[in-house]
Amino acid sequence: MVKTFLGLNPFAWVALVAAAMTVLLLADALAGHYRSGFVSRAQYAPFLSGGLLVVFAVIAVVMPDASWANTALRGVAWGAVAAGIVGFGFHHYYGITKKPGGYRWLLHYLMYGAPQLAPLALAVMGALSLIAARGMAGETGVAGLGLRPALFAVIAVALAGAILQAGILHYRGAFNNAAMYAPMTVPLLAVISSLWVLVAPSPAALIALAILLWLTLLTGFIGLGMHLRGFDRQMGGLYVALFNLLEGPPAWAPALFAGFAAVGLMAVYLL
Amino acid sequence: MNRLMESGGTVKSLRQALGLIKLGAPLHPILVHFTIALTSVSLAFDAISFFFSVASLSEAAWWTLAVSVIATMFTLATGVTSRLRLAVEEGEARSFLRAHMALGPVFFGLLIGVSVWRAVLWETERGVSWWYLSTMAVVALVMGAQGYLGGELVYRYGAEVERDYRELPVRSADSQAPALTPSSLPAQVLAGRRGGAE
Repeated sequence: MVKTFLGLNPFAWVALVAAAMTVLLLADALAGHYRSGFVSRAQYAPFLSGGLLVVFAVIAVVMPDASWANTALRGVAWGAVAAGIVGFGFHHYYGITKKPGGYRWLLHYLMYGAPQLAPLALAVMGALSLIAARGMAGETGVAGLGLRPALFAVIAVALAGAILQAGILHYRGAFNNAAMYAPMTVPLLAVISSLWVLVAPSPAALIALAILLWLTLLTGFIGLGMHLRGFDRQMGGLYVALFNLLEGPPAWAPALFAGFAAVGLMAVYLL
Repeated sequence: MNRLMESGGTVKSLRQALGLIKLGAPLHPILVHFTIALTSVSLAFDAISFFFSVASLSEAAWWTLAVSVIATMFTLATGVTSRLRLAVEEGEARSFLRAHMALGPVFFGLLIGVSVWRAVLWETERGVSWWYLSTMAVVALVMGAQGYLGGELVYRYGAEVERDYRELPVRSADSQAPALTPSSLPAQVLAGRRGGAE
């Protein structure tokens, strides 16, 4: 049975959380693409695609009875999926393949080149928005899966990707603070727990998943605080804002952990 | 550092008062009071409602917490803008600042978590439990620690205010801190006071 929370159904919440995460994702993309000087016009693509996703997600939630808004959300969500996958290809080609040394310097480019998995976060936002659009239209499944299992599957994949990317970048940072291990602890257990719920759903698995997702949500906020602190460990801190925003840790990346956990919690409690 | 001295006379009219309005005060230290007050009051209302069965206070506790979440978004945002304007070199104050910056989002995450919990209780018309009150107490403790760090930054290190406030006439930038008792006041201050009385 689908429940509501504060007057909104869970799919509307998923759409709003995906929109909020997209805004944060684009903020980090702006810092990264600005740092590289927008050398390719393709670097503007995520802002167009993500911007449209945010706008139509909000419109679809505000006007739940307007079928055109739902259709438009599906369209821009597919666009975000495509932009994310193409972006992944670009990051891979220009960030590793085309660089001097190429794959022989793989670890170096994984750490210091374009973040390999970052564009796929936009694809995940598209996937979440697609599920949300289907749910808001009263449909019950996607790709042969129910919408709730589909959300668990997307969350498991998204969290796994975020853990991998954080693992590489924290390795680059030499795990200089014990808190840098945090993304590899509770969120990893949440991924395993999501898969457990997918394969063998049971009340015990659901309770374990809920607890782990709450802790993952908190981990995201701890990460936001630590990244903010990270800016201030650099010379000048945020007083030299632009330089340190470009050279410091990605400001909003930890919020993705919190956002994915929030979507998972909606699936646990409201669907 | 040369600070502006407070040199005007007594403010005697509304026009004079309006002329002194600068609106240059940093917003972050203002907004934190909303976060602290609303969150604390929500906990107090819920506790009173729980122990003395006052239903209306339970309702008020939810709404104060909901407003606290909204206010805290602005508190966080203005905190970042305050930091952008604050030149502070490496040292004790910067360490306080870093801890304050790290703890802020953690507190916000905890606040969102308890607010979601409180919203569910409100929607389902259930009262709060020992578990909820205990968790809120922990959130209030984190808020207290965060408030302490922020207070140190402003009142010990003068973050964002030290360069902006006007020096009162009895003090100069290199004077001693004011004494607490008249007998220990500096001689020139006592002379000034006697002169004023004559």
